[in-house]
Amino acid sequence: MPIGLPVENRSLIQRFIAKPEFGPLVLLLAEIAVFWSINPDFLSPLNISNTLSFTVELGLIALAMTLLMTAGEFDLSVGSVFGFAPVLMWTLFNSGITSLEVAFVIALGVAALIGLANGLFVTRIKISSFLVTLGMLLVVRGVALFISDGFPQRTWSAGQHWLAHVLVGDFYIGPFRIYMSLFWFIGFALLLGYVLTQTKAGNWIQATGGNPGAARARGVNVNRTKVLLFMLSSTMASFAGVISSIRTSAANPNSGAGYELEVIAMVVIGGTALMGGRGTIIGTVLGVFILRVMRNGIVLIGVPGLAYNIFIGAIILGMMTLHSVLERRHQAGT
Amino acid sequence: MTELIRMAGVSKAYGRIQALKDVDFVVNETEIVGLLGDNGAGKSTLIKVLSGAVPATSGEIYVRGKKVSIRSTTDAIANGIETIYQDSALVTQLSIARNLFLGREPVKGPRIFNRLDHAAMEAVTRDLLKRVGISKNIPPSTPIGSLSGGERQAVAIARAMHFESDLIILDEPTNNLGVAETQGVLRFVRNARKSGHSCIFIAHNIHHVFQVVDRIVVMRGGQIVADDINPKQSSVEDVERIITGMSDEELEHALGPNNNH
Repeated sequence: MPIGLPVENRSLIQRFIAKPEFGPLVLLLAEIAVFWSINPDFLSPLNISNTLSFTVELGLIALAMTLLMTAGEFDLSVGSVFGFAPVLMWTLFNSGITSLEVAFVIALGVAALIGLANGLFVTRIKISSFLVTLGMLLVVRGVALFISDGFPQRTWSAGQHWLAHVLVGDFYIGPFRIYMSLFWFIGFALLLGYVLTQTKAGNWIQATGGNPGAARARGVNVNRTKVLLFMLSSTMASFAGVISSIRTSAANPNSGAGYELEVIAMVVIGGTALMGGRGTIIGTVLGVFILRVMRNGIVLIGVPGLAYNIFIGAIILGMMTLHSVLERRHQAGT
Repeated sequence: MTELIRMAGVSKAYGRIQALKDVDFVVNETEIVGLLGDNGAGKSTLIKVLSGAVPATSGEIYVRGKKVSIRSTTDAIANGIETIYQDSALVTQLSIARNLFLGREPVKGPRIFNRLDHAAMEAVTRDLLKRVGISKNIPPSTPIGSLSGGERQAVAIARAMHFESDLIILDEPTNNLGVAETQGVLRFVRNARKSGHSCIFIAHNIHHVFQVVDRIVVMRGGQIVADDINPKQSSVEDVERIITGMSDEELEHALGPNNNH
């Protein structure tokens, strides 16, 4: 019975290289080195502060998407929910219907219901998540445009509200301007990383994506796992949308367009399997920074911003090739 | 011998097709039963009913004399019946330890943290791999995807043994396996019996069945046509005749003059 070299017999370096996070880590370090060598301002406190502030908003969605994709599904409606949730929240608040806190809870609750609908369509009516969430993308974006008449909602009234401070309040650590959203991102990364790798739920999520039939046969509630992850994905997108609306002082019904594909790219570049069964939160954090550093860096070194997608496409192709090679080496036990 | 499982008068119809007709089938404790039959004979349906994959149209199932209702795979597992299919029903991306405990993971610490007890899982896995007969030192953290076909079957058998399944059903466990791996799986099955488990062994290769079972049951046309064939007192040819329902001459003619059975 041939079998590869037992994992325990490999050296520490071999094990590190075999990890799915190794490729993304090398890429991120290379990216930073290249941009920094061309333009030393790349690592200036101002640039780091600016990059971090909007990186974590997409990052929050990517964290939840990692769990959903590990369970073998994905959600194309997150960009629309990102735009819709703050529009709903600020419309409720600005029209005097509710307080800001209640509007915030309603926005998250409605997003969770959107996720519930996605999950039920996928698990009960057995439509692929690609089609279900594509439909939901249009429905949610349409609703956001309809209730706002296509105009952004004003959000500057949040200025001194405690919720704004808790979500996106900023302060300085030395020369670095840090937003509270960074701590939300770190907190959720730790929490979801723990869930995925250390808990019973994480084992169920991986089994759900890896072999749903086998998982079901062992008593894992595959459908409930997927539905809850769709709800998490939508809720996290709405949370990120609200944070973004307060930071930019605008709840634009069109914001978040195209985020869904960028988020999926972040997750896949980080090493999570597109078809499910294997996911990594550390990899996703690296994937988030790879794409955001790229977006920021190519502008700083003078490459036309319109060329951004060329680099992203090349990175995805490169990373997929690397993952495929590493996976085959891993299977062969070398 | 003490009776473990009894299926009494079990029938199953798919629309107008009668896949099982009033079948009575018994497995005793620590007995390995070979279930044989041609394609469409009904053995897969019989196993599906017993493992909860499909419900019977009529009939009853008893476990140790007590009537039970098996409507799902979880019902079957709860009644001590574990089925190992050709693909072993394992998750290739997960480690051996995580697969072994999937659905029944031990947790430690406060309940709210739901934290896996990795140390306990790995210790039990090491012990089980040894018990099932894998002599090599395979770490419990090895992903199933890097195991050979025979080793995957061993993991599935180990899982059934650990969770005290009384009856382990092996559906074509030696398909697509090499000679050495097949012998390994047959050894795992014998070890399972030594540990007090019963098995139903289904294989197209009659020679494999003859090597490991205590009793052979043959199905044809949705019915059991022989249920007490002793492999030590019968030949492969005898069993083939019963499976096909052909006479000596017909069987010889069908196999051709140069067959070397």
